[in-house]
Amino acid sequence: MKKRKATVFLAAVLGVAVAAAGCGSNTGTTTAAPTSAAAQETTAPAASSEPIRIGGIFNVTGDQSSIDAPAQKGFDLAVDLINKAGGINGRLIEATSYDGQTDQAVCANNAKKLIEQDKVIAIGGLSDSDYAYAAGAVAQAAGIPIVFSGATTPDIPDTVGNYAFLTAFGDNTCAYATANFLFKTQGAKTVYVLIDDSMSYTTNLASYFIEHWKELGGEVVLEDHFKSGDYDFSAQIQRYLATGETDAMFISSGPDDASSIIQQFREGGATAPMISGDGWDSDLWGVAGDLANQDIYVGTHYATSDESDVVQNFIKAYNEKYGIDPENAFAALGYDCMMVLKKAIEDCGGDVTSANIRDKIEAIQGLQCVTGTISYSAESHVPAKSVVITKAEDNHLVFVENAASN
Amino acid sequence: MNITYFLTILVSGLKLGSIYAIVAIGYSIVYGILRLINFAHGDIMTIGVYLILVFMNTMGLPLFVCVLLSVALSVGVGLLIERLAYRPLRDATEETTLISSLAVSALLQNVLQIIFSAQRKPFLLPKSISTPMQVGMFKLSVINIATYVVTAVFLVLLYALLKKTKIGAAMRACSENMRAARLMGVNVNRVVMFAFFIGSAMAVVAGLLLAGEYKTVYPSLGFVPGLKAFCAAVVGGIGSLGGAVTGAFVIGVAEILFQGLMPTTMTAYRDAFVFLLMVAVLLLRPNGLFGKNEGGRS
Repeated sequence: MKKRKATVFLAAVLGVAVAAAGCGSNTGTTTAAPTSAAAQETTAPAASSEPIRIGGIFNVTGDQSSIDAPAQKGFDLAVDLINKAGGINGRLIEATSYDGQTDQAVCANNAKKLIEQDKVIAIGGLSDSDYAYAAGAVAQAAGIPIVFSGATTPDIPDTVGNYAFLTAFGDNTCAYATANFLFKTQGAKTVYVLIDDSMSYTTNLASYFIEHWKELGGEVVLEDHFKSGDYDFSAQIQRYLATGETDAMFISSGPDDASSIIQQFREGGATAPMISGDGWDSDLWGVAGDLANQDIYVGTHYATSDESDVVQNFIKAYNEKYGIDPENAFAALGYDCMMVLKKAIEDCGGDVTSANIRDKIEAIQGLQCVTGTISYSAESHVPAKSVVITKAEDNHLVFVENAASN
Repeated sequence: MNITYFLTILVSGLKLGSIYAIVAIGYSIVYGILRLINFAHGDIMTIGVYLILVFMNTMGLPLFVCVLLSVALSVGVGLLIERLAYRPLRDATEETTLISSLAVSALLQNVLQIIFSAQRKPFLLPKSISTPMQVGMFKLSVINIATYVVTAVFLVLLYALLKKTKIGAAMRACSENMRAARLMGVNVNRVVMFAFFIGSAMAVVAGLLLAGEYKTVYPSLGFVPGLKAFCAAVVGGIGSLGGAVTGAFVIGVAEILFQGLMPTTMTAYRDAFVFLLMVAVLLLRPNGLFGKNEGGRS
């Protein structure tokens, strides 16, 4: 009797422990990206020019993989192109990247490994704030500049320190711009807001949106919550429908829950336009079939339909290297992240040190990138960019307008 | 709060409860006979869903055929697990087999991750059966209605099987006293394999209903529902089939009611309340709602 109960208890405890661990755990092998050996052979560097070691951390396995794997590819593409063009001031780049496995501890350890073992002088990568904080703290403590490719929490540089920079716009910019688009372009007055409580990205995005929506004079009819991984939205749907529908729905979730939410809400009878931030710029939910054609908008970093040279050249180079179009905006951000580092290292001239790179990143003004024009200052390590509103059509995000954040 | 809203979420709760019930029965049958808490049970469910997805997407077979193929293969996996990971431990303690089942569960999840990646994949059933229609005051799809029907049919069939057939009698005998059953000429291995056969087949059907309902599949899909179904079996009184079903409905309905009736800022934390409820039930009735107050089996 006693023994049986003990076993059942043990089972329950173990089960819960495994469930908790299972949420973020993803075993995957850590692989170093191929360094540019081929390029090294072709260019004859001067005697003084050792390769410049740059590190990359991307969550290419786990929940983040749908956005970080493309970011890694964009980052690698930039390294390739730089090396093919003869490197920076005659020195080639030697990039080493590790998989953060969508695990904060792994991200922090990999930052350590890059700094101590691989002796990198700057780091790029990571598309989500929770992992950016973990890796950023390590880099900051070691005095290594770290440029986050896709993380968008605007207070990251303030929290991590003066060695941290964002490539992307902040969540506040994204949320304000989507609110402006709904209110001004779409003429919406009432919204429903659904928030994933499990990530700081989604809770922040939603609170910026609500704040700005109220400033504009709009009404938040209902604010509802869920936790990433919840599979049943029936109560949320019923509560939403009980409001008699709103002019628009702001869904603050990550890419993984998007398909489930869109499908269930649409089948449940919710017809209002849905909008979300750059977390939905993912190929994942595009597979949601013809439902993707039903009034779904995403505020993101750039649109592939942009005609400018910098965008079209990037898409062409991506296609040449990988045989596909960039999967989402994070590929472009990964690319831009490396381009920011390149520009700073270029400006360093002969004095390529971590501290000098940091200073030169801070001094970047008007750098034309795929995802917009990047400028930093001592006051702001978050570039002010415009947000591109896109609409889901035939499983692609199509450009709608450039939305300002004010 | 209006009554339509309450009834609508109650119907959702019963639907979730039905799915948990099918899974919980699988736990309970195996536990009844082997005293084994089979943590890999939820993963069989996931494997079944992935197989259905593969058959649907690559071969374009009708859903019915995909499900049959998937059930056949998943039952094969279930039996293989029993043969390789549990049968050699038949005489070991409950703790040992429990750990073995956790190891199998982790192994299966990781294998699925290697094959299919950790990314969620949309799992979309044909529109004809997943589009909701107006049924009385509720909006239900064919797959919703199938959930209730399938659960009821399974329960009746299982009851008939246990009470009316020879293998059913053998299962009940093994559950009461395996050694005595063996002495009476019951082929214990066959009974155990049969239990895994039924459990795995039902898990696949539960997986189909769950993934079809919630439109997505990922390697750890079955784990949390499996855990909740296990809790349901414990709340109901583990080993008792009626208990497992009752417990499943209690957990399923409680989950949706907590989600539906608590303030919206609390909905994300509904699982905490569900497990709190489970603790409360067990404090009042340590053997579960229908658990027999028997000692460990001799």
